[in-house]
Amino acid sequence: MSNVIEINDYSWKYVNTRTPAIEGINLTVEEGNFVGIIGPNGAGKTTLAYSIDGLIPGQYNGIKKGTVEVFGTEVEDYAKGELQQLVGVVFSDPEAQFTAMTVEDELVFGMENIGLTLPEIQERLDWVTELTELSHLLMKPPYEISGGQKQRVALAAVLAMRPKILVLDEPTSMLDPVSRGRIFEVLAKLKAEENNTIIVIEHSLENLIPLADQMVLMADGSILLQDETQAFFQQSKLLLDKGLYPPGAMHFFHELKMKNYYQGKYPLTVAEGIDLLREIKGS
Amino acid sequence: MNKTLLGYVPNESPIYAVHPFVKLFFLLIVSLFPMFVTAPDWNIGLMFVIIIFMWISRVNMKTLKIYVPVAISMGTIIFISYTVLGGTHPEFELLARVWGINFYWERVRDALVVYFRILPMIFTMVFFLSTSRERDIIVAMRSVKVPFVITYVFAMALRSAGMVLEDFQIVRQAEQARGFDPTGKSLPYKIRQYVMYMIPLFALSLRRSEEFTNALVARGYAFTGEFSKVKRADYILTHYSYKYFDYIFIALIGIAFIALLIFRYGFGYFLVEQSWLMRILHGAVS
Amino acid sequence: MTEKAPYIQVIDLDFEYPDGTQALKEINLEIVKGEFIALIGQNGSGKTTLSKCLNGLYKPTAGDIIVDGLNTKKSSIVQMVKRVGYVFQNPDHQLFNSNCWDEIAYGPRNIQLSDEEVKERVEEAIQVVGLPKIYHSEHPFFLSKGLRQRVAIASILALRPHVIIVDEPTTGQDMKQSLEIMDFLQDLNDKHGHTIIIITHDMPIVGIYARRVIAMAQARIMADGPTGEVFTQTEVLEKTFLAPPQITQLAQADPDLGFNPGTLTVEDMVGQFLEMMGRRE
Repeated sequence: MSNVIEINDYSWKYVNTRTPAIEGINLTVEEGNFVGIIGPNGAGKTTLAYSIDGLIPGQYNGIKKGTVEVFGTEVEDYAKGELQQLVGVVFSDPEAQFTAMTVEDELVFGMENIGLTLPEIQERLDWVTELTELSHLLMKPPYEISGGQKQRVALAAVLAMRPKILVLDEPTSMLDPVSRGRIFEVLAKLKAEENNTIIVIEHSLENLIPLADQMVLMADGSILLQDETQAFFQQSKLLLDKGLYPPGAMHFFHELKMKNYYQGKYPLTVAEGIDLLREIKGS
Repeated sequence: MNKTLLGYVPNESPIYAVHPFVKLFFLLIVSLFPMFVTAPDWNIGLMFVIIIFMWISRVNMKTLKIYVPVAISMGTIIFISYTVLGGTHPEFELLARVWGINFYWERVRDALVVYFRILPMIFTMVFFLSTSRERDIIVAMRSVKVPFVITYVFAMALRSAGMVLEDFQIVRQAEQARGFDPTGKSLPYKIRQYVMYMIPLFALSLRRSEEFTNALVARGYAFTGEFSKVKRADYILTHYSYKYFDYIFIALIGIAFIALLIFRYGFGYFLVEQSWLMRILHGAVS
Repeated sequence: MTEKAPYIQVIDLDFEYPDGTQALKEINLEIVKGEFIALIGQNGSGKTTLSKCLNGLYKPTAGDIIVDGLNTKKSSIVQMVKRVGYVFQNPDHQLFNSNCWDEIAYGPRNIQLSDEEVKERVEEAIQVVGLPKIYHSEHPFFLSKGLRQRVAIASILALRPHVIIVDEPTTGQDMKQSLEIMDFLQDLNDKHGHTIIIITHDMPIVGIYARRVIAMAQARIMADGPTGEVFTQTEVLEKTFLAPPQITQLAQADPDLGFNPGTLTVEDMVGQFLEMMGRRE
């Protein structure tokens, strides 16, 4: 597999802050990987996401050191609007991302921007509305749909542009558990059916962990830990020290391990946790 | 009934079959009619015609009551500026003298003429707003080849207006939750309340505008450079097509306007001197 | 246990928005002093509307709400804010002043307290939320979200309401920040005797902190009771489109394993596990 993102000794300092938001990070992402990025607020996660999509340095003022290469080309070297066809971003506030007066206009906007023809737009519109279950909402204006639905529209609008890399910056932080689950259902379908590279920044690990191939822990502008999901969470102590609480089942087994009642791997889901419990109790 | 940012529109209406451009054309042309008509009789007639159109389009007449205060306050302003603030005119016919203020027939007549010219214009506007959803307006603009940037900025303005209205509701409640009670307070106190609203509304827009811009960039929208020149497919317009009756309506509106001009300038119709309504009123007051 | 008189009584409450949306139906509820309640439910289930009814921002369409003997329909804004405080979800909606001190003083000034009393209340509120002195003259806009939320809570505290309702205190916060805010609310509950109501989607937080859960769906209350009990009513919870926290799911998954189905925290679960192992040895 080839690397779609290569970040080397990258630092970024916004003009109006004293300390850099990101300092000396190295990160490579392979094509088709699903990467979860976690870390406390202020760790530089959003800055990293913006750097991959070219919003940094395009939309913000600051000082950049090192390189951020997407598909082998430095982000600044892409023409305006070109990188956005390769990398799509979904932000956390469903309210501020909805810019048009109907769901359909919103979905079509991005496709028109990249110069697609009518038949192409029609085809992708059908595909994306089915994937995100939005068909019944197409004619609705933004004030008639819920926050969860708006967020699915934001995701669909980005997907319709068929970016090879998808970056989601806390896409579900303002949603209720049901709406949150539906966003992750869409991501699961994408992972299963398409060859997108997906990067998700999230606080809520319950939905993220079953999907992620790789996990990255950020704190104070640096990457502290990067590994395959299973191996990553074997470092639960480090995570807890950074104030990141693993989901209940995993946390429970971590506590058992600390008390020497358990030696094996941590469960990623409730189902795995139950199987492990049965084994322990049975033995 | 559906709420739009500009008013209420019916759920179902025969007028939705009409192309949005026809509605825009109606608004632009018919609101010109009163400019050429001074006799209030005809302008009142036009108002009735528009009310019939509204009834056919199943506009909920109850929602129109929000425009009543506007109509009343406007009438008052016009009447006062023509009479109380109208000055002294010895050549005019004096109807009454109250507290040293002269009420002349000609001034009263002119006030009525102006008022009944403005009212039908407002009626056409209300008719348009209560039969057009936001998208219809944007489609109408695009179908007359208004540049995409302008229509999109217009759509975004509507969108942000909606957000500000929502925020405004919450901010008002938040102020009440802090014990702010304007009932029975002085006017300066009430004015201060509106000044206080501005701070959170401004803070919210500042925070949102950043994400708003980012969202636009993320959708591949380029304000400048090569990608800002792509040919847009204008997919939304494919939902709308002109039908035979659209052409008929456009023709009817056009013919009505030309006929109006011919009758006005060719035959001297629609003048205030010919208004029997004014004649009756004059007889009653003098 | 002695039966305490309820501080808030909600009787056959219906609420309809001006556009005709029925937001609350047949709500009956009693809240006693000193409770710590989580109001849960999907977006649009009526949680926020109900809490705005409790502090008189919305007046019932039908039914009554009695707070501390006062009917919200007949009470003034000032009477209500002294009893039930409501902290909005987004701090940006509720910060009106150009520095934090004035912000906290805004409420007390609105209810026309004397300058000394305003000062006393502000100092007290600042101390309770632990806002460092360097921020007192800062513009709230430039503070972090966590600090802005503290200022928002302090400005409600300064009105000294008995009940404090906080709408989604942990949204957008990482776990460490969430626990800090919640520990602080728990202190208000334990040490200062305030009744706390949180509106939240965060089930692990509900498990750790709330002693009572009110679950809403489609404008109605679907379940109301001690947290552990409500979390065992899985069928009812499904109707509200909610699931108990993962640790509770783990405890409930296989009854043969012998865990308490009302388990709420990891510590509790570990404790049960240790006890079982001890018994086996």
